[in-house]
Amino acid sequence: MEIADEGLSIVGQVAVGLPQQQTATWLAVRPDGSVTAYAGKVEYGQGIRTGFAMEVADELRVPPGSVEVVLGDTQRVPWDWGTAGSQSTATVGLQLRKAAATARQALLELATDRLDLPLTELICREGRVVSRTDPSRGMAYGNLVAGQSLIRDLMDDIELTPADEFVVMARPAERMDAVARVTGHALYSQDVAVEGMLFAKVLRPPSFGAKLVDLDTSLAERLPGVVQVVRDSDLVAVLAATDEQAEFATKMLEARWEEMVDHPSHWDVPDLLLRTAREAETTQEAGFLEDGFRTADGILEATYYIPYISNAPMEPRAAVAQWNEDRLTVWAGTQRPFGIRAELAQHFQISEDMVQVIAPEIGGAFGGKSIYAVAAEAARLAKMAERPVRVAYSRAEEMTWSTFRPAALIEVRSGFNSDGAIVAWEFRAYHASSAPNAQMGRLRGRRGSQTPYAVQNVKVTVAASESPLPAASYRSLGGAVNHFAREAHIDEIAEAVGMDPVELRLRNLTHPRFRQVLETAAERFGWSSAKPPSKRGVGVAIGLDVGTYVATCVQVDVLASEVKVQRVTAALDCGLTVNPEGAASQVEGSIIMGMGTALYEAIDFEGGHVLNAGFTRYRVPRINDTPAIDVVLVGDPDTPSTGAGEPAIVPIAAAIANAVFDMTGRRHRELPIQRHLR
Amino acid sequence: MVSIHVNGKVRQASSRERNLLSYLRYDLGLTGTKHGCGEGLCGACTVLVDGQALRACETTVGEVAGGSITTIEGLAQNGALHPVQQAFVDESAMQCGYCTPGFIMAVVALLSREGRPSRDQIREALAENMCRCGTYQRIQRAVERAARAMGGAER
Repeated sequence: MEIADEGLSIVGQVAVGLPQQQTATWLAVRPDGSVTAYAGKVEYGQGIRTGFAMEVADELRVPPGSVEVVLGDTQRVPWDWGTAGSQSTATVGLQLRKAAATARQALLELATDRLDLPLTELICREGRVVSRTDPSRGMAYGNLVAGQSLIRDLMDDIELTPADEFVVMARPAERMDAVARVTGHALYSQDVAVEGMLFAKVLRPPSFGAKLVDLDTSLAERLPGVVQVVRDSDLVAVLAATDEQAEFATKMLEARWEEMVDHPSHWDVPDLLLRTAREAETTQEAGFLEDGFRTADGILEATYYIPYISNAPMEPRAAVAQWNEDRLTVWAGTQRPFGIRAELAQHFQISEDMVQVIAPEIGGAFGGKSIYAVAAEAARLAKMAERPVRVAYSRAEEMTWSTFRPAALIEVRSGFNSDGAIVAWEFRAYHASSAPNAQMGRLRGRRGSQTPYAVQNVKVTVAASESPLPAASYRSLGGAVNHFAREAHIDEIAEAVGMDPVELRLRNLTHPRFRQVLETAAERFGWSSAKPPSKRGVGVAIGLDVGTYVATCVQVDVLASEVKVQRVTAALDCGLTVNPEGAASQVEGSIIMGMGTALYEAIDFEGGHVLNAGFTRYRVPRINDTPAIDVVLVGDPDTPSTGAGEPAIVPIAAAIANAVFDMTGRRHRELPIQRHLR
Repeated sequence: MVSIHVNGKVRQASSRERNLLSYLRYDLGLTGTKHGCGEGLCGACTVLVDGQALRACETTVGEVAGGSITTIEGLAQNGALHPVQQAFVDESAMQCGYCTPGFIMAVVALLSREGRPSRDQIREALAENMCRCGTYQRIQRAVERAARAMGGAER
């Protein structure tokens, strides 16, 4: 960790709420008045660099532009478990606010001596401590800390600035890193180059599970630019002077593989999910399900299926590794730099202190880049070559050898009365999982499985099933998947009882924050009551994810083979919204991404091959698919921040499916909708 | 050896067959132009050749040796952002930023041939550029803002 040689450092526990007992520097004020905030989170577009700077600036009474935010470098920042689950603002942002408030308190105390004024007489303002009565009497922060090396403990119970005194937070702000992004100077792991670096191309198996049985490298080794062909047990790679030489030579490796013969294909997945389900966990249970069904006026049963999809970030994973004697430095655009550091230390049997992982700018991640295999590949190759090595995925590698959002099959049975009251709710979810055991396997699938509706008789179970593809995190984990089934089914109840879908939801919702987002979205959208299908192409869905409430209304047009989403209104309550501009952008992005999952996206695979590992056959939303999006943020600034990066993705797929039904009278219980339109 | 004009300077390339994107990124260190797909489908590698937008990933140095190439690094003049760059900043038209240089180059090319593009012209011209973060609505606004700032004639 860094302690300012000269200045004020605020030192506190790392990893709030976790068993790590180390301390680290969270904030430093230097003699030139500059402020540095340190956080173990990484920036992959969500805007936390800007959000953190705003939080520190408001607590410390400095302009946000004077706050430098250092992220994701294991040598410099507090330990962190990873950037995921929309937790950065809720946890680390709060910690930085406390650090900045502690620094403000320390500066006030320093000033009492220097200005010879009592604490009650002093106030912090624009980077200075000044007298309340005579603002000309004051001292800049830098001068207060100059010539000293001051360390203060972060005060966990320090009073934070109340919302009505914010001058920076809760106001829309431009991204601090915008200029670097528009000038091409933002550095991503794909862009990292170090002196003497070799370009590696790793030999990938022809299909999942294939084993290398024979390899002849003699031709590849003679090709121009090739420095070395490395084989380290399962890792084979060509190291060359240029990317193209490495790529060409890798194609000239003569490899013989033994391929798996019975790898499932994508059409096998629904059966596989049911057949291989491991022990289910009950995530919600109340009343007596069968009593509810017995008294219900109507019962509906339906099955929903969500295929595998690809995170498909714009930046394919890349890593550069450099050894300096026994010290290893790896640049890797991962969401989990400390986790990757631990994996590297484990692999090479060295202490974590000997490994530095630097996460530069990350070109999209959406959950997947917690897993980052190229980091270890680059480090292994660099060790063998005794030179720095770069490994970068191609687009096809990114969409084959990284991870996928797991497929899921969900069975729903509901009982309801003719007035729209839901009286019984049975929800059985089967999520594919690559986790080694049933309990870990359910971690992703359980998110968002519980119903938020006030139903007396409920049983929700989540089971992890075998996954033929490497399944891992994707925005909201199972949240969007579970929400699709639930909110699509709620629409079927509305149809069955002949009730407007917004009214039916309100009929069964008691939570005031939930009701508020739904009423707000419906009003802003101009929702008018009608029985579905109304032929207007409107749909609604609600969601709760990471403590944030969201409601979404959409309008679609359905052409012969194309669904056009025309407009979307989303209302979101994430408590204090530090940067409304950043949060709105996250909501828009979640809607676009979720629209892709609803309409176009599915990974096809057969015989262990991904059939659409590229943008020719894997369609993602483009600008000409983009609806007009209206985002309404309704969070109360005195309510603690929850998260804004993921929640808006959870209702969108159901809202679109419901809107398509409203237009066509046809249900889509299987995604993506466009495959099943005709 | 082959000579090539990049951002107003004459540079040398070792081979006409060298991939233009690799040449810019790894030989010249101009890493603002991004590798996204290598198939000309995502637009992250868009550069200008004599003012026309071109996918560097599908081009060899030899194919553009006679032309003048502008990359994202060559757009700002004397420290002042190009109006298109400024518009992307003002509209916060980015998240991860990986697609941003390619989009900006595509927009510069669009506005040079169509001063005040309609909403549909913008959507058509940029349909080959991908933003997985989904900032399209902001990009649309940034193009309209840049067009106004550049004083393009309204149709």
